[in-house]
Amino acid sequence: MNPLLRRVLDGRSRISTQLYLGLGCAVALTVTASLVGWVWFNRVAEVQSRVNEGSVPALAAAFAVAQQSGALVAAAPLLAAAAPADLERITARIAEDRRAFETQLNNLARQGIEEGRSRRLSARGAALLGNIEAVEESVVRRFELAELRERKRAELSELRSRITGLMAPAIDDQLFYVMTGYRELGEAPAPRERHLAPREFARYRNLADLQGHAATASQLLAFALNVADASLLEPLRERLEASARGIRGWLAALGPSPLRDTLSDPFSQLIRLGLDPEGGVIELRAAELEVEEEQRRLLVRNRGLGLDLVARAEGLVETARREAREATDAAERTIFTGRNLLLTLSVVSVVGAVLVAWLLVGRVLLRRLALLSDRMRRMAGGDLEGEVNVAGNDEVAEMAAALEVFRSHALEVQRLNLVEKLADELRGKNDQLEEALTDLRAAQDQIVMRQKLAALGELTAGVAHEIRNPLNFIKNFSESSVELLEELQEEVQTLLGEGEGEESEGRALVREIGSDLVENLRTIRQHGVRADGIVHSMLAMGRSSGERQKVDVNRLLDEHARLAYHSARATDPDFRLSLEQDFDPELGEMEAIPEDLGRVFLNLVSNACYATDEKRRAGGSQGYNPVLKLRSRRRGGRIEIRVRDNGNGIPAEVLDKIFNPFFTTKPTDQGTGLGLALSSDIVRRHGGAIRVETEPGEFTEMVVELPLVPPADVVGGESADGGNAPGA
Amino acid sequence: MIRPDPSRAIALLCLSLAAAADAAARQPGVSDTRVLFGQSAAFSGPARDLGTNMRLGIGAAFREANLRGGVHGRKLELVSLDDAYEPEAAIANTRQLIEKDDVFALVGAVGTPTSRSAVPVARQAGVPYVGPFTGAEFLRDPKLHNVVNLRASYYQETEEIVGRLIEDRGIKRVGVFYQDDSFGRAGYRGVVQALGRRNLRPAAVGTYPRNTLAVKTALLDLRAGSPGAVVLVGAYQPVAALISWARFIGFDPVFATISFVGSNALARKLGPDGVGVFVTQVVPFPTDDVFPVTRSYRRALAAHAPAAEPEFVSFEGYLVGRMAAVALEMCGPTPNRACFLDALSGKSEIDLDGFLLRFGIGDNQGSDAVFLTVIDDGERFRRIEEMRWP
Repeated sequence: MNPLLRRVLDGRSRISTQLYLGLGCAVALTVTASLVGWVWFNRVAEVQSRVNEGSVPALAAAFAVAQQSGALVAAAPLLAAAAPADLERITARIAEDRRAFETQLNNLARQGIEEGRSRRLSARGAALLGNIEAVEESVVRRFELAELRERKRAELSELRSRITGLMAPAIDDQLFYVMTGYRELGEAPAPRERHLAPREFARYRNLADLQGHAATASQLLAFALNVADASLLEPLRERLEASARGIRGWLAALGPSPLRDTLSDPFSQLIRLGLDPEGGVIELRAAELEVEEEQRRLLVRNRGLGLDLVARAEGLVETARREAREATDAAERTIFTGRNLLLTLSVVSVVGAVLVAWLLVGRVLLRRLALLSDRMRRMAGGDLEGEVNVAGNDEVAEMAAALEVFRSHALEVQRLNLVEKLADELRGKNDQLEEALTDLRAAQDQIVMRQKLAALGELTAGVAHEIRNPLNFIKNFSESSVELLEELQEEVQTLLGEGEGEESEGRALVREIGSDLVENLRTIRQHGVRADGIVHSMLAMGRSSGERQKVDVNRLLDEHARLAYHSARATDPDFRLSLEQDFDPELGEMEAIPEDLGRVFLNLVSNACYATDEKRRAGGSQGYNPVLKLRSRRRGGRIEIRVRDNGNGIPAEVLDKIFNPFFTTKPTDQGTGLGLALSSDIVRRHGGAIRVETEPGEFTEMVVELPLVPPADVVGGESADGGNAPGA
Repeated sequence: MIRPDPSRAIALLCLSLAAAADAAARQPGVSDTRVLFGQSAAFSGPARDLGTNMRLGIGAAFREANLRGGVHGRKLELVSLDDAYEPEAAIANTRQLIEKDDVFALVGAVGTPTSRSAVPVARQAGVPYVGPFTGAEFLRDPKLHNVVNLRASYYQETEEIVGRLIEDRGIKRVGVFYQDDSFGRAGYRGVVQALGRRNLRPAAVGTYPRNTLAVKTALLDLRAGSPGAVVLVGAYQPVAALISWARFIGFDPVFATISFVGSNALARKLGPDGVGVFVTQVVPFPTDDVFPVTRSYRRALAAHAPAAEPEFVSFEGYLVGRMAAVALEMCGPTPNRACFLDALSGKSEIDLDGFLLRFGIGDNQGSDAVFLTVIDDGERFRRIEEMRWP
């Protein structure tokens, strides 16, 4: 930012002044854009109205004239082909077309089409209209003539039957008279010389010829009425004249008689019908053919004129269309320019407004406000570092100064609070430390205990290993000593066997001493075996004996409980115990080493069996019913197994020793004192715990808690930890 | 800016719509109150008695039907035009009846040449052509779907005459006198065929031009063949002239003619010369009561034209009128030409008070009956069973 602007911005005025300034700039820009838009819209409207009022109506007029020209060109052929009944309708329509054409021509002239063009078009139109009039007249004339012809045809037909009606009976009568002499019904016949006279024969022939000529004449006339070629009319006229001469001749030859009087009238009518120069069939037909010919000529002319007119009209349409297109193009260009201008102005306005907002409000005012608010937020969050400093001399700067005052006050207060808070925290920490210390001590005790145990284990393992060899000697040598002694006894018996048949006192004594020695050696061996067992157990402690796998804990517990029960029954036939099982069917399987876990269960159940049996034997308490309850439960990711007997319970003074190795309450020859220590060790290695709940004289309940999935390091680690020492 | 003129297009559209609607709704000649029939026949010229009497008979039948309340509530009406037995006039009349008078059907036309000209016009327009007073064979063509005949054909009549002449009278020389046009030639052919079936040929032939009385040349030709009997096929005036002249010049064979002549007119015209002239009829004898329909006819005629005497032609007209009414009745309350013609074709059988009309496939002629009559000395007809007089 250049230094001048910076100075201007720094020497800042009040916010209202800044806002008014910004808004003023925006309004000024908008007003300018609107003014330019308004001016341009006016211009566009002007151009468009030129198109609408000038070019488009001109084009429409030209188009209408072209269309109407087409209709007029079709008029003449329509007229020529019309039936008499349609003539009136078609004439009316043509008149209408004609009026429309003239109106449209005028229209065209008003549209400012070039004077010469319009006049030429008008002249062609007039020529065509004149021709149409001529066609119309000729058609009317043709219809008149055709009507006249039909009248003549009817007249001819009527004359023919009249003549036949007269001639046929006349000839008939004459023939009959010549042949028979009878003239009238009821009259006497004429004498032969009268009716067979040559005169009567001539008369018969006369009548027959007359009839022949009459027939010829009527046929010629009928033909003339239909002839289509004017050149045929002249020969027809000649033959008709010949017939007429014949008719006149034979009529004259009839001589004066009533028959001639009757006949002369229809015959002269027949001749007149054919040959009358005014309205005779020949003349009539000639006139009709001439009219038809003229009409053909007119139609040809009509076509020429029509083509010319239509071509000119089309030319006019083309011109008008071109002009209209040019005008439209101009209008489009204007609109395009106006649109671009408006767009530019709008862009400038928007950019200007954005700039003003950004410079005055956004970049400067809002940024400073944001600075202030950021400081406030930070102060609210507890950060009171750094001085609040906003440049300028407007309201924002004043707020910043006030905030600075707040900040310094808050700083003071904060310092005081901090001391108090630190003291509190220190007290809390002290308490925690004390607590931790207590825990630490307990843990330390435990560790010591465990170390003691481990050292003991190590020691015993080492001692056990060393003891095993001498024990083996004791076992083996006592055994072989027994065998040797038995052999010795047999030898002694043989040696002493000289005095057979009677038992000497010495022999009996030797045998007794030998038997005692054997008994003693057997006792030695028995106790050696027992010592080996103890050592074996000691070695087993802390050593894992199998692979980890999925184990159905319910089944395992059930199997080992039965094993222990039956083993107890085997040693003492009086032993009795009722076994109650309460297994959770949803217990599922856990990962464990089944041999180890089985040993735990075997120990627990054996102990229970022993406890109940002891109470039964000692108490004699009548109605005592030894009961062993086995219970398994699923508790989240862990399982809980309870083994409860209603034996004598555990006295409080020994309760914390029961898990120590070699601690036992059983007689010396019955417990090794390692069962519970071993069990505790195994359970711990499975990541679980074992504890006891008891009421002396009432019950003992051993509670084993195991995770479904023991942590791998727990089993492995302890295994290494516990298994190494004896192995070494 | 540039718009085509819509008014013309709309006008055209309206016009065509109106025409279409009109054609669909309207049946020509039929309104709510009446059905209009047209007749073109001879009411002037030598055959005028035929046309007049046909009109009388049809009128009597229509009047009878109208007095009963019309057919399905519609009165039957007849418009008649005179063709004077001329074919050209018959064509013009038929056109006018169809196009201008807009008739439902044409009835009771008279004459063979006139029918020959009028039937193509009617056929083209699809208008029924019912009960023409002619027995010409061409009208019995089954291809003419719009033509319905009531009466027996000329061939049937000439066959009856020739058969009787030979069987009853033993006459083998038979001459033919006929009008030289399609009607006459039809009769002539009928006689020639009937003779041919018996291995005979006409003994003599005479002709005369239509609408003239020039019969004497024919008389000479006939006399030259000296026939025992002459069969006459022509209008009643020339036939009467021929018989009179023949009797006058002493040429006296047995004269027999077919129904067309108009029996009563012939009898009147002949006077005493008519005694013993045999005439075949295609309708029952109008004054005896063998068929109940004769009584209905006389009653209807008396009601319609009290002065008119019962006779054969008006009886035929009456039967034609009755037939048209029955067909219209069968057609139901909304008649049209197709169902009208259907009622008179196919296998329909119509009983007009005992006078049976039987139509069939390929048979558009209702009655095959031919009756023999003779003119007695009182200028009256007498019904006979055998061709003998007295």
